[in-house]
Parts: sequence; structure tokens; C-alpha cells
Amino acid sequence: MTAPLLAGVLALAALPAAQADDQTATPAAPPAPAKKKISGVELYAIHCNRCHPERYPVEFDQRQWQTYMLHMRVRANLPAGQAREILKYLQEEAGY
Amino acid sequence: MKIRSLILGAAAGGCAAGLLVPATSSAAVSEEAFNALSDMVGKQGQALEELKKTHAQDQLVIQQLQQQVGQTSQLATNAEQKAEAAAQSQTVYQAPNPATSASHNFIVTGDAEVQFGKSTGQNPTFVLADFAPIFLFRANDNILFEAGFDITLNNNANADGTRAPGSATTVSLSFAQLDYCLNDYLTLAAGDILLPLGTYSERAAGWLNKIGDDPLVRDWLPGSGIGARLQGALPVGQSGQLVTYAVYVANGPSSGNPTNGFANAGDLDLGGNVGDTPNWHANPSGGGRLAWFIPWKVHYDLELGVSGQTGEWSDNRTHLWSACVLDAALHLGPYFEAKGEYINTWFGTDDLGNLDPHGLWVQAAYKLAGLKRDWPVINNLELVARYDNSDDAQGTYTDRYTVGYVYYFSNTLLFEGDYEFLKSHGPNALPPQMWMLQLSYGF
Repeated sequence: MTAPLLAGVLALAALPAAQADDQTATPAAPPAPAKKKISGVELYAIHCNRCHPERYPVEFDQRQWQTYMLHMRVRANLPAGQAREILKYLQEEAGY
Repeated sequence: MKIRSLILGAAAGGCAAGLLVPATSSAAVSEEAFNALSDMVGKQGQALEELKKTHAQDQLVIQQLQQQVGQTSQLATNAEQKAEAAAQSQTVYQAPNPATSASHNFIVTGDAEVQFGKSTGQNPTFVLADFAPIFLFRANDNILFEAGFDITLNNNANADGTRAPGSATTVSLSFAQLDYCLNDYLTLAAGDILLPLGTYSERAAGWLNKIGDDPLVRDWLPGSGIGARLQGALPVGQSGQLVTYAVYVANGPSSGNPTNGFANAGDLDLGGNVGDTPNWHANPSGGGRLAWFIPWKVHYDLELGVSGQTGEWSDNRTHLWSACVLDAALHLGPYFEAKGEYINTWFGTDDLGNLDPHGLWVQAAYKLAGLKRDWPVINNLELVARYDNSDDAQGTYTDRYTVGYVYYFSNTLLFEGDYEFLKSHGPNALPPQMWMLQLSYGF
């Protein structure tokens, strides 16, 4: 029971490195039709409203949003990339 | 150097003149010419003396300059030593950096509630004043310490539950965990961690809940535990879908009455076992949650999750406590949401054998702003309904139906009202009706 769990955790911990290796080893594939990337404001609308009323970007300053988003990344188990996009949107809109 | 050349030049000139004079004087040297030559030699001698004086003065100046250079060099050496000492002291006592200093990344968030209510057989009264701050300390982009407290005011009570005079303020630590984002896919949380058994503890408690009290069945689960958790999320494709995961170990439940040597049903303590004195049982519990989040457009999404925990609970190490939770949440537009959990727990006892307290709750809410009418007050209302039940596996079964509303003064100030109908049977049956009003502020 412990061994498969440990193996899974180690595999996850090594994910960024594995992805980097894949990128170098795989020959360049023909470009696939680009899917529209979900923007920070869309991710904000998707995730924040799931649990609480949306908080407006101007309610906090840029540094405060950094702390709140780290808190929310852990609490809601958000993927790091999406959390960064939401933070970028909030900081841009916060304006100070 | 220049002066020395002049002196040597003058001397050479004098010698040359001395050598030339006899040659000419041997021919015919008049007294007048001799005197002129004598004057010229005398003047050259004087010039030589002046040059010697000038040279001596120059030497003095050179010595003074050399002395000054020495002093300057000493000053430079001292300055260098001081700068080095300052640099060394800076490595020990770093000046605060606004970008990374934890003191600049400290936030208090949380919520506060006041509740007024009445249940069958009781007088209407203010039943709750709750202040629940959460302290967030961010050290950098990957490290966060967060601690939540619950501060409430309660009537004093005697040991047998009867009323005692006065009141007391209760301060309880809801959670206190250090979060370290190891990479984009794995985060470590350690301390008094919120347990990912379903989503209620992490995402719905306090002011986040649209109804003033918790689902009954949540009483069969611990909200937090001392331990460590690894969690993360993997995006699936570009559509926003996610697979989220969490695994953890925690001390787990314990026996609240360890001295009798038995593990009876009434001894189960879901909130204890937080220290090493006494060490209730040696083996911690393990658990985890796996979920799939599927958004198909903004405000339209479904999340399905399964979670569980198992481990020893009795100090005589003969019985396990286990739990399984199925959770779901659905959003259909910005105005409608539904969520719920099915919870089943099992634990062995010495007196009643194996017990399985279980139950479920489902809750739906609709914001009247979705009617698209120009009604300023109505547009701030959200209607809420919940059904929940609970079977304690010891003879008490309860069905509860709740209807209510949330009025949004703002996105952080909420006024809630709920009416509950209960059908409850058994030794621990609940009153058949209850209503409550609650003012909640999330900050």
C-alpha cells in the first residue's frame, strides 16, 4: 500500500522534469489547431464563484492578492498555472 | 627629475667653459675678458646654488606628497575594511526586503456571525456570536502559513449539562497549517490541517455556507487533524478540466475515555488525539481525495469527488474508524448551484459491535437576479433549500428540510434566514422545528 503511494508521489514530484525531457526528445509535431486558452478573467469567473461571492479586484492591492491567491490555490486545490493567470488578472485590475 | 637635469646641465656648461677658457687665454686673455668670464662663472655658481635650494624644496614637497599618499592609502584600507565588515554584518542581519518580508505579506481574513433563533421548546434568543479570523503569513510565492480561530461566547454549564451562572469565551484553533508548494503539481501542507473529506470543511464552513448551520451528517466526520497532506491538481486539456488529488496522514480519532480499557461506542472522540501525552494509539490514520472538475463554459461546471480515511481509533488498538465521502457540486449559470455529500462511516466497538453512522445532504440555491427583472431588493436575494438526514447507528434517525434565503447587502455582508422542519426519532431526537436569522460578514 505504501510503496505504490510513494511511487505516485515521487512521479508527481518529478513531473516538470519529465515534461521538459519529453519536449527535448520528441521531434517537432505539426502544429495542431490552436485551442483558445482560458484567460485569467474566465478562470476567475469559473473558480472563485464556486464557493463564495466574487471579490472585486480593487478590494485589495497587488501584494495582498498575491497572498490571497496562494491561500486560495491551497484551499481550493487550484492548479498553479491557473492560479497564476487569475492572480495576473486580479493584479492588473487592482491597479495599485 | 627636471631639476636634476638642469643642475647637471649647468655643471657641464661650467666645466666646458673651464676647458675652453685656457685655450683662448693662452692665446691672448685681456683683463676685461677675464673679468667677464669670472662674472659668468660666479653667476653660474649662484644659479647652481638656487637650483640646489629648489631641489631641496622639491624633495620636501615630494616627501610631503608621499606622506599624503600613505595616509590616503591607509584611509582607503580602513574604508575597505569597514565596507567588508558592513557586508559581513549584512549577511547576518539582512535589511528587510519589502518584496519578500513576511511582515509585509500578512493578512487577516475570515468571517464573523451573529445569530438569532428559536427551536421548539426554547425562547427566541441570540444564540451565537462568532468571530473566526484567519491569519495568513506569506513568506514568498511558495510558502504560506495559515491559521484559523473560532472565538465564541457561551453560557457556562455544570459538568452534568445544567446551567451555571455567567458566560465564557471559547477560543478554538480551527486549523494551523504550513503550506509549501513544492512545484506546480504538488503542495505539502503540515500542521493542524483541514481534512479533505468531501469539500465542506475547506470550502463551505462559516459564512461560505448559505444556511446558518451545518448538515447533521458532518458531525460524523472530523474537520481537521494533526498531520501532513500532499495535494495538487492536473489540468486536463485546454478546456479547464482538472483532476485534483490529496493524500494525507493524521493522528486520527481517538478514545475519549481511555482509562477503562474498553473501546465503547460513546468513547469515540473525532476531535481529540492532538498530542503525545498520552499517546492514544501508535498508528496514524491515512486518507485522501480524488476529484474531477469539469467546466464546459464560464459558470457552468460539475465537480465529482470521492474521499476517505481509515485508521485506529481505540487506545487498546483493537478497532478501526473509517469514512467514505462522495461529493458533488453543480453550477448552471451564475444564478444556480447545487451541491451535496453522501457520508458513510464505520467503527468497531467493544459494547455495540460495528457501527456505521451515515447520512447525506443536498442543497440548492438560486439567485433571483437570474429572473432579469428590474427589482433592486429582489435582485439581491438568493433562495436556498436543503435536505439532509443522519443515522447515528445507535437508534436516532433524523430527516431535516430547510428553506431559507440569503440577502446580499454587499458581496461580503449577508443576511440569512432559515426555517427547518425535522422528523427525528430515537434517544437523541432533535426538536421538530427551528428558525434562525444570521448576519454574516466575510472579510
